[in-house]
Amino acid sequence: MPSLELDRLSKSYGSVHALRELSFEVGAGEIFGFVGSNGAGKTTAMRITLGVLAADAGEVRWGGVPLDLEMRRRVGYMPEERGLYPKMKVAEQLLFFAELHGMSPADAREAVDRWTDRLGVGHRRRDAVEKLSLGNQQRVQLAAALVHDPVLLVLDEPFSGLDPVAVDVMSEVLRERAAAGVPVIFSSHQLDLVERLCDRVGIVSAGSMVATGSIDELRATGEAPWMLAWGERTDPVAVRQALAAVPGVTVQEVPGRGDAVHLLAQLEGAEQAALRAALEVGEVRSFARDLPTLTELFRDVVSAPADEEVAA
Amino acid sequence: MSRRPVLTVARRELKTRMVTRSNIISLAIMVVVIIAGGIAGKIFLGEETEPEPMRLAVDASVSELSPYLESSPAAGPGGIALEPLDEAGARAAFADEEAEAPLAAWVGGDPAAPTVLFEDEPDPAVLGIVEQAAREAATARAVTELGGDPEAVRAAVDAVALEVQQVLPPEEGLDPARWVLATFLVTLLLFSILGTGTMVAMGVVEEKTSRVVEILLSTIRPGQLLAGKIIGIGAYGLFQVAVLGGTLMAVVGGLGALPELEIDLGGTFVLMVVWFLLGFGLFALLFGGFAALVSRQEDIGAVTTPLMFGMFVPFYLTIFLVPNQPDATLTKVLSQIPFFAPFMMPTRAAAGALEPWEMPLALALTALTIPLLVWISARVYRRAVLHTGGRMKLTEALGGSKG
Repeated sequence: MPSLELDRLSKSYGSVHALRELSFEVGAGEIFGFVGSNGAGKTTAMRITLGVLAADAGEVRWGGVPLDLEMRRRVGYMPEERGLYPKMKVAEQLLFFAELHGMSPADAREAVDRWTDRLGVGHRRRDAVEKLSLGNQQRVQLAAALVHDPVLLVLDEPFSGLDPVAVDVMSEVLRERAAAGVPVIFSSHQLDLVERLCDRVGIVSAGSMVATGSIDELRATGEAPWMLAWGERTDPVAVRQALAAVPGVTVQEVPGRGDAVHLLAQLEGAEQAALRAALEVGEVRSFARDLPTLTELFRDVVSAPADEEVAA
Repeated sequence: MSRRPVLTVARRELKTRMVTRSNIISLAIMVVVIIAGGIAGKIFLGEETEPEPMRLAVDASVSELSPYLESSPAAGPGGIALEPLDEAGARAAFADEEAEAPLAAWVGGDPAAPTVLFEDEPDPAVLGIVEQAAREAATARAVTELGGDPEAVRAAVDAVALEVQQVLPPEEGLDPARWVLATFLVTLLLFSILGTGTMVAMGVVEEKTSRVVEILLSTIRPGQLLAGKIIGIGAYGLFQVAVLGGTLMAVVGGLGALPELEIDLGGTFVLMVVWFLLGFGLFALLFGGFAALVSRQEDIGAVTTPLMFGMFVPFYLTIFLVPNQPDATLTKVLSQIPFFAPFMMPTRAAAGALEPWEMPLALALTALTIPLLVWISARVYRRAVLHTGGRMKLTEALGGSKG
C-alpha cells in the first residue's frame, strides 16, 4: 500500500497562521501519532488531507500523486467534531456512508454487520443514533470510518470519550489495520496511548512540525543527561564530591531522587571519567542516558513560546 | 460530476422524508382540507341542476292570454308552467302549506283587464309578464278587428333585433368556479414550494449542526451534496404535489364540486406539476445555498424569512391581480418574471386568461434562470457550509478568498 505525504502545507485564517509549511510522511502499515497542544494545527492538517479544507499552499500526495476526490473516497475519516445524523438508525446511516464511499449495497450490508458487531454496537443497529450513549455513538462513528475498508485512516482524537474497554478495542483495530498495510494517522492528547501504539510520532506546534520520528529517536534527540544512581551503602556526599571533581562534567540534582544525579558531559568521554570516579568511592547501581518520556518531550516542545492560538 | 453519490444522497433524503411521521400526518391533513373545501364549494357555489318553472294558475276566462304568457320573454330560465284553475281552487292551493311547488299567482277575470291574485306581496316580475301578455292579446284583437293578420304582425315584431356594440372593451369577469379552482391551485403551489424549500434549508442546517457534513464532504463535493439534497426533497415535493393536486382534480372533476366548469383538468394538473418543479427549482436553490450561512437551527429564520417574503409577495399579487386585472399590462409583465411566474402563470391558466405566447415565454425565462441560481447557490454553499459559529455574511460567502 502506498504512503501518504503532506508536503509543506500552509493555511491562514485571516492574519492567523494555522499551518506553516507543515510536512510529514506516513508509510504503509505505519501508525503515526499526531500530537500538539490545542490549536497547534492538527485538525487543520487533517481536514486539508481529507479535502474538507483547501490549503493555501502545499500538497497532499498519496503514493506520489496528489490526493484527489476519487482516492479520498477510500480514506476512513473521523473528524474531531463527531458527525452523524441524530435521527437516523445506526445501520441505515452506516449503509449510507458505505454507499457514498462507493460500496455496492450487498457489500455495504455485510460490512455494516461486521463492524457494528466488532465494535460492540451490533445490538443497537436498529436504534436511532441519538438514543445511544456518547461512548456508543463514538463506536458508531469509528464504524463509519472503517465500514468501507479504507486504504488510509485519518482519525482526529479517536480515543476521546471512550471507556477503557473501548480504548482497547480501538487500539486493536488500529493495529490490525496497520498490519494489513494501511497507513494510520491519529491525533490524541493521551500521550501514554500514543507512546504505546505509535510507530512514529509527530509533534506539531504553532502550525509547524517541530519533531518527527519513532519514540526512541525522539527521546534520543537533544542532549539527554546521564543519570548515575548509587547503592544504599554508598555515601552520597562522597560521591557528589568525587563527581564534582571530574573535569568537564556538570552535576545536577534529580528532582525527587536522593540516590542519583544527572551528569552533563561537556567534554568528549567526560562521563566515563565520572563513572570511574564514582566507582572509586562507592557502588554504582545504574548508569545510563536519562531519556525523556513523550510527555516531557511534548512539554519541552510546546512550552517554546507559540504565537497566536488558532481555532483549528 | 459523478452521478452516483448525488443519487445516494437524494435517495436518503427521499426515504427520510417519506417515513417521517409529521410529514405523513401533514399530508393527510392537507388531503382532508382539500376534500372538505371541495364539499364546501359544492354547497356554496353549486346551483340547482334543473331550474324550476314558474307556476302560474289561469282561469278559463283568460285562456286567450295563455299563448302570450307561455312565450313571455320575461320568463325565468325554467320557463312558465300554466295550470288551469278557478279562483276557489287557487285560493285553496295558496292555503295548502304542504304544496310541493308554490303557485306564483292566479290570473282570471277580464282578459283586457285581468285580475292577478297573489298569496302575499305582489311580485313585479309576475305582474310584468301578465301585463305584457294582456297587451299582446289586446293588440292581436285590434289587428283582427282592423282586418289584419295578428300572426304577421307578431312575426314582424319578433324580427326586430338589436346589434349591441360598446366603446370600451368588455369587462371579462372571471367565472367564480374557475376562480375557486385557481385559488386552490396557487395556494397549493405556495405551500408545496414553501414547505419543500424549508425542508431543504433545515436539512442543510441539520448537517451543519450535527457536523455530519464534514464526513460527507470528505467523500463527495459540496455541489453533489446540495444537488442530491435538492433532488431528493424535490422528489418528495413532487410526490406531495401529485397527491394533493390529484386530490384537488379528483374533487373538482369526480365529485362535481364546481359545476359547469369547462376546464381541461388533466392539462391543469400537468401545468401545476411543471410549475411546482420550476418554482421549487428557483426557491429551493436559494433556501439550500443561503441556509449554509447559519450554523444553528435557531438562526435559520434569518435566512428563511426573507425568502418567505419572496414567496408571499408574488402569491398575494397573484390573488389580487388575476381576478381584478386579468388583462392589465402589470399582470402580464409580472407573469414573465421568474419568481412571480410560478404563482401567476398556472393561476392565470386555470382562470382562463392567457394569450398563447405567454406560457411558453414564462416557462423559458424561468427555466433559464435556474442555471444562474445553481451557480450562485453552489458558490455560497461551498464557501459557507463548513463555516461554524456565527452567521456568515452573504457578501463574504459570495466573494472573499477560497475556503
